[in-house]
Amino acid sequence: MEYFAWLEQTAASIWVRESSWAFFAILIVHSLAMGLVVGINIAFHLRFFGFVEKIALSRLKAFVPVIKLGFFAIVASGLLLVLGYPAKALTNPVFYLKMGLIAAGLFSTFYFVRRYMSDSDHDFIDLLQFDRLLASVSILIWCATIVGGRFLAYTHSILLASSFY
Amino acid sequence: METILAFARGSGIYDFMNSAWGWPTIESLHFIGLSLLLGTVGLFDLRVLGIGRGISMRAVHKLVPLGVAGFSLNVSTGLLFFVSAPDQYAYNPAFQTKMLFILCAGINMFLFYRFAQGSKVSDRGKSLAAIGAAVSLTCWTLVIICGRLITYYRPPYHWCFWC
Repeated sequence: MEYFAWLEQTAASIWVRESSWAFFAILIVHSLAMGLVVGINIAFHLRFFGFVEKIALSRLKAFVPVIKLGFFAIVASGLLLVLGYPAKALTNPVFYLKMGLIAAGLFSTFYFVRRYMSDSDHDFIDLLQFDRLLASVSILIWCATIVGGRFLAYTHSILLASSFY
Repeated sequence: METILAFARGSGIYDFMNSAWGWPTIESLHFIGLSLLLGTVGLFDLRVLGIGRGISMRAVHKLVPLGVAGFSLNVSTGLLFFVSAPDQYAYNPAFQTKMLFILCAGINMFLFYRFAQGSKVSDRGKSLAAIGAAVSLTCWTLVIICGRLITYYRPPYHWCFWC
């Protein structure tokens, strides 16, 4: 808690909280990149599940850089949000749940990318039953990351650690 | 405003939205709908703009009905927000701007299907389609930005570029 309080008093943390535009700009980047990354991931997993079967899997790989770029924006903006309110996020179990869900979602995406998108041999292949199941679960996981993020704004028990000192 | 609020109270929507889970749950659905829209229509726009050349445009277009589903989800969840706090939205410039950009996106979509569909035939058609895709991406981005602005400043505090 003492460490969070120290972090909250750093110039960067104060800037995130008190600048007239910083917090809003960071939120915008976080939301837009969220929509893009989760949205494209849902579209990907729908394809893995067997929806829109006519899309060649190896060609779909062209959108992987979009996911990577978007994910980088999410991490960067997310780190700044945590820097602004470290105790608020890091003392909330929902935050760790959200991080776990994101890790699981990414794992699934890159499992499919490696397995089916590396060459054109698998372009229109029938996916294994297990992989189809994984794809449908992953769609739910990606949706759950959003639910986690939304509930973070409502479920915190501490807003600022500095208020205790 | 009073009538809308009376409807929300009478139908139980108001109580549900103001319960512990109500607002964040509906917001979550609103964000999931937004992602669906961006991940399908946005993906199609990116394809039209040249990312993922070689993917059948017709196949990517099959995703668009899901974007429409996402949009419908957002209209429904959006209405739940609106009726539960009508004055927070109706008098909010960010909300008004957001509606304007949704209208722009709608008109753009109409023009796209009217003039740019089947555009592989001519170069002129191709550039029309690219313009349509760029406008679509811009509009939806602005819709999301305005959406976030709605709750960032609430009436009587507000953000507004024309007043």
